[in-house]
Amino acid sequence: MNDAAIAARGLEKRFGPVHALRGIDLEVPAGSTLAVLGPNGAGKSTLLRLLAGLARPTAGTLRVGPIGEDRRRTRGRVGYLAHATFLYPALTARENLIFAARLYGVANPARRADELLAAQDLTSVADRPAGGFSRGMAQRLAIARGLVHDPAILLLDEPYTGLDRSAAAALTLRLAALRAGGRTLVLVTHELPRACELADRAIVLADGRVVHQAVGADLALAALERSYLASVGAAA
Amino acid sequence: MQAGPLDRAAARLRAPSGGVLLMLAVGWAFAVVQAPEDSVQGVIQKILYVHPACAFAAYLGFGITALAGALYLWRGDEQYDRLGVSAAEVGVVFCTLALLTGPIWARGTWGRWWSWDPRLTVTLLLWFIYLAYLLLRGFTEGSARGARFAAIYGIAGIFAIPLNYFAIDLFGGRAIHPENLSRGSLGTGMGWPFALGVITALVAFAHLVFRRLEVEWLRARELRSEAGAPGSAAAERPWGT
Amino acid sequence: MNVLLAVLWKDLISEWRTRDRIVSMLLFSVLVVVVFHFALPADASRLLQTGAAGLLWVAYVFASILGLNRAFALELENEALSGLALAPADRGFVFLGKAASNTLLLWIVQGLTAFAFALAFDVAFLPVALPLAGVLLLGALGLSSMGTLFAALAVRTRYREVMLPLLLLPMLVPVLLGAVQACTGLLETGGVPLPALRLLLVTDAVFLIVSFVLFEFVLDE
Repeated sequence: MNDAAIAARGLEKRFGPVHALRGIDLEVPAGSTLAVLGPNGAGKSTLLRLLAGLARPTAGTLRVGPIGEDRRRTRGRVGYLAHATFLYPALTARENLIFAARLYGVANPARRADELLAAQDLTSVADRPAGGFSRGMAQRLAIARGLVHDPAILLLDEPYTGLDRSAAAALTLRLAALRAGGRTLVLVTHELPRACELADRAIVLADGRVVHQAVGADLALAALERSYLASVGAAA
Repeated sequence: MQAGPLDRAAARLRAPSGGVLLMLAVGWAFAVVQAPEDSVQGVIQKILYVHPACAFAAYLGFGITALAGALYLWRGDEQYDRLGVSAAEVGVVFCTLALLTGPIWARGTWGRWWSWDPRLTVTLLLWFIYLAYLLLRGFTEGSARGARFAAIYGIAGIFAIPLNYFAIDLFGGRAIHPENLSRGSLGTGMGWPFALGVITALVAFAHLVFRRLEVEWLRARELRSEAGAPGSAAAERPWGT
Repeated sequence: MNVLLAVLWKDLISEWRTRDRIVSMLLFSVLVVVVFHFALPADASRLLQTGAAGLLWVAYVFASILGLNRAFALELENEALSGLALAPADRGFVFLGKAASNTLLLWIVQGLTAFAFALAFDVAFLPVALPLAGVLLLGALGLSSMGTLFAALAVRTRYREVMLPLLLLPMLVPVLLGAVQACTGLLETGGVPLPALRLLLVTDAVFLIVSFVLFEFVLDE
């Protein structure tokens, strides 16, 4: 429990009358990749936002990163990639990254920005305003932004949405590389095949609760499909 | 859904405070009628038994709203938010009453409805702040976010109101407010109705807040059971944009 | 502190690229000055000399509301505001950065508008230009501090543009009174009246501190 990168007990989140998370118990060992599956409205995005430090739990305990760290410090360890890109359209790609680097207190922001641009193959458009980017380019820039502070824990909320085949393949390679580098990944996705590809453990959320957990062999696609339908079907 | 200590207290105190209020109101009305007429101002002076009392309640109401907001931000417990909105809704009523009775007195005594008297002007600003608070709550998507925004605004307001007072006192408006009512410029026989008026107003305030709290709690419980349904629209992106 | 400068830098670069806010704020406040010409009686020269400060500040208040709304509308694109919330930075400093950029832009608009006003109505600002700039800055700071806090709230409500003036105006009275009194005193006597200056300084300090602390909760969920 203590060396898990992420640990939650009885995690609850309410938004006024809406009970988005109704008691989640979770343990994610450092270096592993967790897939979070479930139907719409199950609370997957809410869970991720809590992990990212964007929202505070209503009840229960949540630890992301080392024990006893305050929320602010924790936000510095976590990279969060969501549907929105957090990019400023008027700023160039490089300026967006430099700004993000400065926000996270990264040393030598300019150099880091150039590194990231190169890694995402965006150097040629580094000086173009981000507002003019295509969806794929914006996505790559958003990924670069999410990695600006070299986070040990990466949270991804349906990152494959809207990506074409080649972009999706490139993303999978990228995520695999990050995983190989020892990072902890939490991936929210609709697509079971992706989960099987990348993750070594999975949870299924429905109606704010964990209705199924799978580790290792259970993540073979057929097995996962069966148990997913069974658990989600039961909860619906 | 659990009722917090505030909600329980409100339910318990509603009837007793109503009873006390009734008695006070009768006693006070009697006292006001009995009180001697002011030789200079005539019967219109009797508004002084109503106006300051309403004003006290209005300012107290905002103080409670701000305090409830601070507690809500600190603890995250929704009962504080319920207290905040109850105090604000009742407070704005008393503020409106104060703003109506003040000019009536002014018109009767000085011949003008409104003359930018500092205290009345600050009360007018308080009224706008109250309204802004309630509008902010009403127009924010998501009740949790609305509660948070309103709490922030209430706390900002509690700092702004004294500043408003100092500023207007220094620079704006012509004072027509009778000063130092408690220091004996009230004639004999006027002290009792005045004090009684203040107490009645405060008890009325408390009673109305208790009732409003109960309504709010019932409404919250109702919403919660509705929204809990799986697949409900509220479950998607409940935190808003 | 770095975060403050980073946010300030980002806002200024963004503004420089698009010149979005400063142009609209400037046009608006100069338009208000023009409207004054038509709205006031033909023989208003006396009124203008004594009331110049008041008229100017009316224009400033409305221009600043325009600018503040715009400032946060920009942060809502691509949910950039969440991006700021994610940073491990003290959110009070994010607030200060935004308040600083809003103050600076408003200050520039104030100066240019005063210039236009002086030309249009033959009011002599030049002899007191330096202390006037100082008073304008203090006033701008007061407007922008609470303004930034409330704009962050207002822009996420259902009636964004309308919400901000409703929230802000009742609280701005100390800034308005202090600034107008200070400017009027400056124009009449060449010296800034101390009570007005004190009011401005105290108000600015209170507003800044309160907004700094409260901004933490603005970005939380």
